[in-house]
This record gives sequence, C-alpha cells and structure tokens, in this order.
Amino acid sequence: MDLYTISFYMFAVLLLGSAIVVVFSRNIVRAAFALMITLLSIAAFYVLMMADFVGIVQLLLYVGGILVLILFGVMLTNRQISVDIREGAIQTIPAVIVTSTIGGILAGAIWSTAWPMREAARSVAATAPVIGEMFLTTYLLPFEVASVLLLVALVGAALIARRERKS
Amino acid sequence: MLTYTDFLLAMPLFSLTVTVLLIIATEAARVGRARFSQFLAITGLLVTSLLAGLNLRESGVAFQGMIATDAASSYLTILLSLAGIVTALVARPYFEHRDAHRGEFYILLLFAIIGMVLMASANDLITLFLGIELMSFCLYVLAGFERTKDKQNESALKYFLLGAFASAFLLYGIALIYGSVGSTNLDAIARAYAGISNQPLFLLGTAMLIVGLGFKVAAVPFHMWAPDVYEGAPTVVTGFMATAGKSAAFAALAIVMIRTFDIGGSTTADVLALLAAASMVLGNVVAIAQTNLKRMLAYSSVAHAGYLLAGVAAGTAEGFAGVFLYLTAYTVTTLGAFAVIGWHERTNDEGTSLDDYVGLSQHQPVIAAVMALYMFSLTGIPPFAGFIGKYYVFMAAVRADLTWLAIVGVLTSAVSAFYYLRVIVMMYFRERDGEHIPLPRIPVMIALGITAALVIVVGVLPSTVLQLFMPAM
Amino acid sequence: MIPYAPLIVLFPLVGFLLIALAGWKYRSERLIGIVGSGVVGLSFALAVGVLLEMAALPSDARSWSVDLFPWIDTFTGTAGSFGISVGYQFDQLSILMTLIVTGVGFLIHVYSIGYMHGDEGYWRFFAYLNLFIFMMLNLVLANNFLLMFLGWEGVGLCSYLLIGFWYQKTFTGDAGKKAFIVNRIGDFGFLLGMLLIFKTFGTLEFSAVMSGASVMTAGTSVAFWIGMLLFIGATGKSAQIPLFVWLPDAMAGPTPVSALIHAATMVTAGVYMVARCAPLYALSPDALLVVAVIGGVTAVFAATIGLVQNDIKKVLAYSTVSQLGYMFLAMGVAAFSAGIFHVMTHAFFKALLFLGSGAVIHGMHEEQDIQKMGGLKKYMPVTWATFLIGAIAIAGIPPFAGFFSKDEILWYAFSSDLGSPALWLLGALGALMTAFYMFRLVYLTFYGKERFDHHHVHPHEAPKTMTIPLMVLAFLSIVGGFLGVPPALGGGHIIEHWLAPVFAPAQRTLMLSAHASHTAEYILMAVSVLIAVGGIYLARRWYLEHLDVPDSMAAKFAGLYRLLWNKYYVDEAYDAAVVKPIQRLSDAFLWKVFDMKIIDGAVNGSGWLAQTAAQWLRKVQNGVAQSYAVIFVGGILVVVSALLFF
Repeated sequence: MDLYTISFYMFAVLLLGSAIVVVFSRNIVRAAFALMITLLSIAAFYVLMMADFVGIVQLLLYVGGILVLILFGVMLTNRQISVDIREGAIQTIPAVIVTSTIGGILAGAIWSTAWPMREAARSVAATAPVIGEMFLTTYLLPFEVASVLLLVALVGAALIARRERKS
Repeated sequence: MLTYTDFLLAMPLFSLTVTVLLIIATEAARVGRARFSQFLAITGLLVTSLLAGLNLRESGVAFQGMIATDAASSYLTILLSLAGIVTALVARPYFEHRDAHRGEFYILLLFAIIGMVLMASANDLITLFLGIELMSFCLYVLAGFERTKDKQNESALKYFLLGAFASAFLLYGIALIYGSVGSTNLDAIARAYAGISNQPLFLLGTAMLIVGLGFKVAAVPFHMWAPDVYEGAPTVVTGFMATAGKSAAFAALAIVMIRTFDIGGSTTADVLALLAAASMVLGNVVAIAQTNLKRMLAYSSVAHAGYLLAGVAAGTAEGFAGVFLYLTAYTVTTLGAFAVIGWHERTNDEGTSLDDYVGLSQHQPVIAAVMALYMFSLTGIPPFAGFIGKYYVFMAAVRADLTWLAIVGVLTSAVSAFYYLRVIVMMYFRERDGEHIPLPRIPVMIALGITAALVIVVGVLPSTVLQLFMPAM
Repeated sequence: MIPYAPLIVLFPLVGFLLIALAGWKYRSERLIGIVGSGVVGLSFALAVGVLLEMAALPSDARSWSVDLFPWIDTFTGTAGSFGISVGYQFDQLSILMTLIVTGVGFLIHVYSIGYMHGDEGYWRFFAYLNLFIFMMLNLVLANNFLLMFLGWEGVGLCSYLLIGFWYQKTFTGDAGKKAFIVNRIGDFGFLLGMLLIFKTFGTLEFSAVMSGASVMTAGTSVAFWIGMLLFIGATGKSAQIPLFVWLPDAMAGPTPVSALIHAATMVTAGVYMVARCAPLYALSPDALLVVAVIGGVTAVFAATIGLVQNDIKKVLAYSTVSQLGYMFLAMGVAAFSAGIFHVMTHAFFKALLFLGSGAVIHGMHEEQDIQKMGGLKKYMPVTWATFLIGAIAIAGIPPFAGFFSKDEILWYAFSSDLGSPALWLLGALGALMTAFYMFRLVYLTFYGKERFDHHHVHPHEAPKTMTIPLMVLAFLSIVGGFLGVPPALGGGHIIEHWLAPVFAPAQRTLMLSAHASHTAEYILMAVSVLIAVGGIYLARRWYLEHLDVPDSMAAKFAGLYRLLWNKYYVDEAYDAAVVKPIQRLSDAFLWKVFDMKIIDGAVNGSGWLAQTAAQWLRKVQNGVAQSYAVIFVGGILVVVSALLFF
C-alpha cells in the first residue's frame, strides 16, 4: 500500500464522515463547518487525480467563496444559529428504503463495469494550460454559455434582492 | 478554428443574445421603461425566428460539434420564439394590471429561450445540460416573479429545490454515460451505442437521463412539482413554462433517445412507454377532480407529456416527427388557453376557478369561442391541431408495435373529454352571475388571434408544418 | 357536373363562414336565411346533377374518388404509412346519402327561416346548421376513415352546440354533457376500431381496406373485434343500446335541430358506417349477429318507453331510437340496401313528424305535453294532415313509404341466412308498438277534447315557410317507398339495384343462399299490415273512444307503468354505475389519496397554500418537498430497475 492509496482512503473516510455530520447535525454552524471539510476532501480528490487546476478552483470557489458566504448568511441571521433545523415530517423510512436500494444498484453497476483506465493519469503535468486552451477552442460554446448562466444568476439575484417599489 | 458556417448555424442564438444584452443595457441605463424592453424582446424574437427560418434547409454541426443545426432544431427555434412572442404580448397587460411590469421579465424570458434553443440544437451532453440549466434558472426566478406574493415564492422555491434535485440526477447520468462511452458528444455516443447499449453503466446513465428530462417534461412519477408550480406561478409564466419548457425538454429527449440512442424496440423504449402510460392515466384521471383551471391544465400537461412520450417510445423517425407535430399543436393551444386564463384572472389571484367561468359566452362570446376552440383541440377533436398530434403519435406507436400504448392513449383521451368539456359547459350552458370582465387589451387579442389561427391551420394543413421540420419528405 | 362534385361539400362551408364572420354584424334575417338555405340548396342541386350523370355511366364506372389535398403526410413513403388525403368518394351509396342530407337539410333550413324568426341567435343558428351539413357531407363522402372521423366528430360537435342553443330555456349543462360524453365513449370505440384496422390492413383508405378485406379469411377474431369496435362507435352516434340515453335529452334543442340532426341525418351515421364497412362485417357473421340482436332489442326496448311518454318530442325521440334499431337489424342480417332504404324513408317521415311537432309546439305557445293538447285538427289543418301522413308512413300502412322499407327489413330478418324467426318477432313486436304510440300521439294531439287553457293558448297554423316543407316531406313520405317496391309486388326495387354494386363484395364473402318463396313473403307482408292496423285500432279504442282504459291499465300494471315512465331507470343506473365511480376514483382516490394524502398528510384542500410569509419557508421545509423527493427517488428506482433487470 503506497502513500497514494493511503491518502485516498484517508480522504474518503474524511469525506464520508463529514458529509454524515452535515446531514445529521442539528446545529447549523457545525453543519456548515463539516461541509467545509467535505469540500476540502473533494479538492483533495481532484489533486489525487492529478487535476491540479480543478482542485485549486474547488478550493477557491467552494471553500473560499461559497462556504464563507453560507457562514456569513448563518452568522448574520444570528437568531437561527441555535435553531434545530430538522423539523417537520420527513418520510424517513420510505426514503431510507428507496435511497439504499438505488445505492446498492449503483454500487453493483459500478463494481461490475470494466472501467477504461488511463495510464497517463499519474504523470504530473500542469493541466491549466490545456484547460485554458480547450475553453477557447473545443469548449468555447459551453464556456460562453456558462458565463451567460452566471449572468442570469446575477439578474435573478438582483431581482429577488431588489427592494420592492412602493406604488 | 471557427468558421463562417459556425456563426451562420448559430445565428438565432446570437440574435437572441444580442437582444437580451440590448435589453440589459437599456434597463441599466434606464433609457426606456419596461414597455421598451417588451418591444425589444418581441422584435428580437421576430428576427430570431426569421433567422431560424433561413436555417430551415441548412444542416451541420458548429462549435466543434457542440451544437447541431438542422430542420428540426431550426423549426423548434421558431416555435420557441413564437411562444416567447405570445408570452411577451400577454405579459404586459397581465403585469401592468398587477403593477409588477418590469424589464427583467423579458431578460429572463429571452435567456430562458436561449437555453431552450441550446437544448433543441444540442449535439453534446454538456451543451444539453447547460441549456437545461440556463432555462431552469430563468424559470425558477420567473415562477416567483412577483416577489411580494407568497404563493409565487412558494412555487418558485419548490420548483428550485426539486429542479436542482433533478438536475443532479441528470448530471450524474451524463457522467455515467461519459464513463462508458468516453465522450459526451452525441455523434460519438451514437456510433458507440450498438456496442454498449446493454452495459449496466450505460443503462444507468440512460435511466438518469430519462429521470432528469422526465422531471422537466413533468412525466409521472416526476410530475409532483407541476401542479403546485403551475398553480402558484404568474399565469403568463405558467403558460410559457408549460409550452416552451416542455417543448425544449421533449426536443432534447427526442434527439437523445431517437436520434442518438435509436431506442426503437429496446427496453429503454418499454420504460418510456411505461412512463407514458402512467402519465396519461394519472394526468387525465386526476385532472377530473380539479376545480382550479390552472391546476387542471397542470395535470392535463402531465397527460400530454404522456402522449408525447408515446412518440418518443416509438423510437422511429415517425415518432420523432410525431413528437414535433404534437409539440406544435400542444404549444399553440396551451399558450392560448393560458392567455385566456391570464386575462380572466383578477389581481388578487381569483378568477381561475372553474366556477368563475360560468356563462362567459354571454358577455364575452368571442373569448369564450376561442377558449372553446382550445379545449376542443386539447381534447383531440378534429380538425383542430390537437387531434393531428394525437393521430400522428398514436399511429407511430402502432407502427412501432406499441399498440397497447396507443389503446391506453385513446382511452385516456376519451376520459380527458370529461374535464375539458366541463369548461365549455360552464362557459356556454350556465347563466352568468359573476362580474363583468372587460375585453382583453389589444396585445392579448393579437396573441389569441395568432394561437387560434394556428390551432386551425395546424389541424387542417399539418403536412405543411411537417415539411418544415422533415425536409426529407 | 362530375368534375365539380367536391363543391357539394364546399358550399355549406362557404355558407358557414359567411354567416359566422358577417352574420353577427348584418343581422338581416332575410339575408341569413337566403344564404343559409341557398348554399344547401346549391349542394342539393349539384348532387342531383352528379346523380344523373352517374346514372348515365355504366354501373362499374359509378364509383370514383377525388383527392383534394394531402391532409397528413408521412415522409417514409413506404407501404403502410399512415398518410391520409382529404379526399371524397362518390359512389351509389354516398351520393344517395348526400341527397338525403342535402335534400332534407334544405327543407329544414327553409322551415327554420320561419321557426327561428325573431330569435336573438338567428345567425348563430344558421351558421351551426351550415356547419353541420358540411360535417355530415364529410362523413358520408369521405374516402378514408380519418376524414369520416372528422365528420363524425364534427356532427357531434354541431349537435352539442345546437342542443345547447337555448340554454336559457330548458337545457341544463348536464344533458349536453351527457350527449357529448356518451358520444365520446362511442368515438373511443371508433378510434380503437381505426387503430385495429390500421394495424391489420396498414391503411385507412376505404378502397384499400375493403379490397384487403375481400381477400381475408372470414371468421377471424380480428374481423370480429374490428366489427365490434366500429359498432360501439355506431351505437354512440346512432343511439342504440347501451348508448342511447343521450338522444331523448337532446330534444331540448330547437325542433328543426331535432328533425335534421336527431332524426334524419346524424343519427343514421352509424348505419351508414356499418353499410360502408359491409365488406369488413361480412368477414364476421358473429359481429353481424351482435348488430342484429342489438338493433332488434333496441327497436322493441325504445318502443316500450315511447308507449307512455307525454312529451311530444320525447315520444318521437324514442321512436327514432326504435327505428334506428330496425336499420341495424337490417345491417345485421346483411340486408344492407334495405337498411339504407329505411334510412331514406325514415328521413322523410321522421323529419316530417318532427317538423310537424314543431308546428304544433309553435302554435301551442311552446307547450310540449300532449295531455294538454287535443282537438287541434281544426286549428291547424295542414299540420294535422301532414302529421297524419307521417304517422301512417311510420306505422307501415301500404302504400306509404314506411311500409316498403320496414317490411323489407322484417322479411330479411325472417328469411335471410343470418336472420331467424326470433329476430322477426322482435321487429314485428316493435312495429305493433310503433303503430300504437304514433296514433296515441295523433289522437291525443289532434283529436278528442280540447284540454288546453283557452284563455292563454290560441292555437294557430304555422306560416308558409314552415308548412311548405311539411307538404313536400309529406309528399315524399307517400311516394318515397315506390323506389323500393319488392319484386314480389311486381316492382323493380330501384334502390336495391342501384346499391347492389356497392354491397356486392360483402355479399360475395357472405355467400348467402337465395331467398325463400314469394308465398312466405306475402304472408309476412299481410301479417305486418295486420299488426300495424291492430296497433292503430288499439290506440283509437283507448285514446279516442274509451279514455278510461289507459288510466285503469296504468293502475293495474302500476309497476310496469312506472318502469316505462322512468325509462327503465337507465339514467339512474348509469349515474350510479359509471359516472359516480369515475368521479369518486378521481376525486377521492387518485387525487386525494395518491397526490395529497400519501405525500402530504398534513394538508387539506387544493394544494398547500401558505398564509403568511413565514409559513412558506416552513412549509417547504416540513415535508412536502421531501415527500415529492421521496416519490421522485422511488420513480428513479422503478426506471433503473426496469432498465437493468428486464
């Protein structure tokens, strides 16, 4: 067992553990911090897959951006901090049955598939230039559409957040 | 890398984008009021449909295989633009009446149409996904456009939560298909299809795609959101998402399932047939119990998703054509019906109940007649558009050895007469005791005129429509 | 004329468009009446011209079909594709039906000019009538099932619009809805029949289907089911058991409508369809047997209800149901031309009777209860005379039209290889009751004491535009039968010879043996005349001479009387057995349980509508969205397992 495999399993345990905390924690702040660990672990996976650029972006955007935003939101609406967020009728038993069955089927399918392996995956090379080039060539259209998507998000957010005109 | 052809094939997308940027700019500079945005939007959509019309006889892939333009996608662009124009026409009276007329509406409307056009012309699962997301984001916001109304907020939030849930599955499906094919390009998947169509991983991916798109088209059992969201959203938005949203999602479904996967006769086709039958039965039967017209049409739209799925399940070129023909019929009819509902609705959200339509024919005979026309078309009575759509889809199903599905379809559409005709009975055969509602404003009248005319034209001359998107004839 | 034949269909459409688009603005009754009747008259004239030219052709060239434009294209172009043209087929059968539709239609249009005088919706009425004629012509002239279905639905639609024409007066939405829903059940049969035909023959063109049928082996279950499904459609449109319930309610419409749509033309569409599909029915004697039995039973069943009704139009409505039963009886014993012959004569005398009843109602200030009439003979002599002619014709007294057609049906019911004495008995029983209730109507209306209120009701004769059509129809009711004088009476039976080529393929498939002797025919003829005379005599005795008999009979057989008076409680049975359960299924089970309770036990009413701003967020959190998500994931499970494990 080399270092690579060890770190893989370590981050896997970390990821699953923290995700469980996110789901089951009754304290919203604790859940948010657990989410940070989850997102960090995912970044670690990207790095392990030699996708350095995606790993960095994950770190920057999700951990540095989105999560901080969530925490700000939680802190600013401070009365919510101690609120027990799990309430109401959640259909636990059917949910557990269907999700675990699907989980089983998925696991079976993934297990039984002969995955195409790429040997080159372990070579260390900077991915950012490749990605950058791809964004401006092959994936130009999706790249532009994604930016349009962000623009929509901006417009939508502005609309929702805007103060209502008094008539 | 990019050539002149790339731009030519993507012209409708560019014209839409330019229009929406113009609107954003004028809105930001506060040059005009919302009315000016409406004018810009309608003009832009007209130009777009013109450009798409020019592309009707072109075909080819653009942007490194990300999108493919052909007669079907260009035709759908025209249809979507039409839906946009009708929506923009009725939106101004509707929102001005409620003191909520804003330029943002047209921005989001056009962005949604961009997403839909991308879906209809996607040649790569990535484009498809981005198109769906672009459309959905706009629809989430539009569903809660009047921010001060709880009902709309609720509708928007529920749509968003479940929509995000569905998108996750869709994306997962795309990832699984990428995992088994090694590409997200539809041409590449089509080439690999014969070899991998029985692979568990690929089938899982297919299942997730069906789930994700099934949510967007509101097919049973992924339809739960539709009644709540359709009822809660502003009526013009409901009309738009029930028609254009469904059209785009079905175009994507047809492209993936029929063109790319060639599912005819496979288990996938059987699964789609199963969903189709479930949607027809549940949608039609539950619609009977509805007393709110918007909610009734929501369940009816679930049923129509079932009929459309029958065309997809046929998996043949005829099924493909049937889906597009049905979409045309369904879109023009339902848009018109929602335009009438939007006109009839009062500012306090009342006036959408079936009882409010009692005796409408007495004080607004023209509107009642037009509404009756839509109801007949939805029921599937010849020679109106709805009948042709059903005929084509059912016959395609019969030819694909799905006779049982066609029988279920015929049976359930007989059931559907019950609730569609109830509207007519209310309007025509009861005494009016409700308030007097003034005639719709000119834009709404134009919208009703366009849709009503198309309901008849599509019904009488379907071949002409068919030749637009099936040039091989 | 022949090249212009499709114009027959076009004229009424033009009339409809003119009146519908301009009529509401230029409310000139004169102009609307002239245009409305004129276009139908033009169609009729053209149809006569086409008939004359057709008759001049050799009999094997009398059938041709014209494709106007492709309605639905399929791009595959391979054999068995479902492309369909808008095209019309002209042959001996369709031109005969066209003449009936346009001829009787024209007279009824003229009658309506007087009848609808002063009505607020005058233009609307004529627009609907023209549209109806257009749709009916599509139905009878179509050269494929789909266009026929267009006409089939179209006439239903017009009927629906016209039934509800006077919603303010007598009509409740439920009756109109019943008409439409019952018809939809029938249409469902028709559509499924079409699907099965398409599945079997790969096309919906009549000529191709019929030639395909002529080379098929007889007696297969496919042929039986095609026949049955189409017949379900026919029972809906032609008001046969079990779908007859709508027709009596449809009498709420204006009387010309009852005459045109609910007696002379639309309701015979089912008979026409069976005749048109004769080669298909010939493949399945079992299906024909069902048709014959349903027809025969309906003929008797409806007649029994007609015995006790007091509404003049209701009696005629049940009489129509009963007469349609005869037509199906004829179809069922493969006497196709006899059935069509009866369609024709029935159109004459039933239109006459309805229009006559309209004149009575008109003259009696909208009174329809025959118990409140009596002695009208002296007030409206023309109406009386023509009505009497109609009654004699339907009762089957020679040489009036009804005698020849009805007698021919009874003869075939007895003598055909597919017939039997039992079927004949049904027909004879029906004939007895028909003669009885028709003359009960005549005596109660036109004879005896004047039972109406003289202070308020002043009976008067109808205007000329109404009486002239009555006289024309009366004339036709007298002479119409001579077109079908059987060989046994020394006649040439023009109708049968005319239609023979159309039904030849079906007859070839059935291979029926030659008829029995003339002697038997004479005996049966004499019996049926005796029956008719007996019925009339009985009616005269009870309703003119011994007026106490009906009451004492009603008292004696109170249970039976109540059963008949309440129309065998069929409406109530339908309501309890069909309508209520569907509503309950939808309302209680599928919607409330499936869509609300399972998913969202906490909420009642239509959806969960939040009341305050704080609540909507809470609502989203507490279960509904999660429940939707659980169903959603359940759906995924179904899709995934179906894909992977089947």
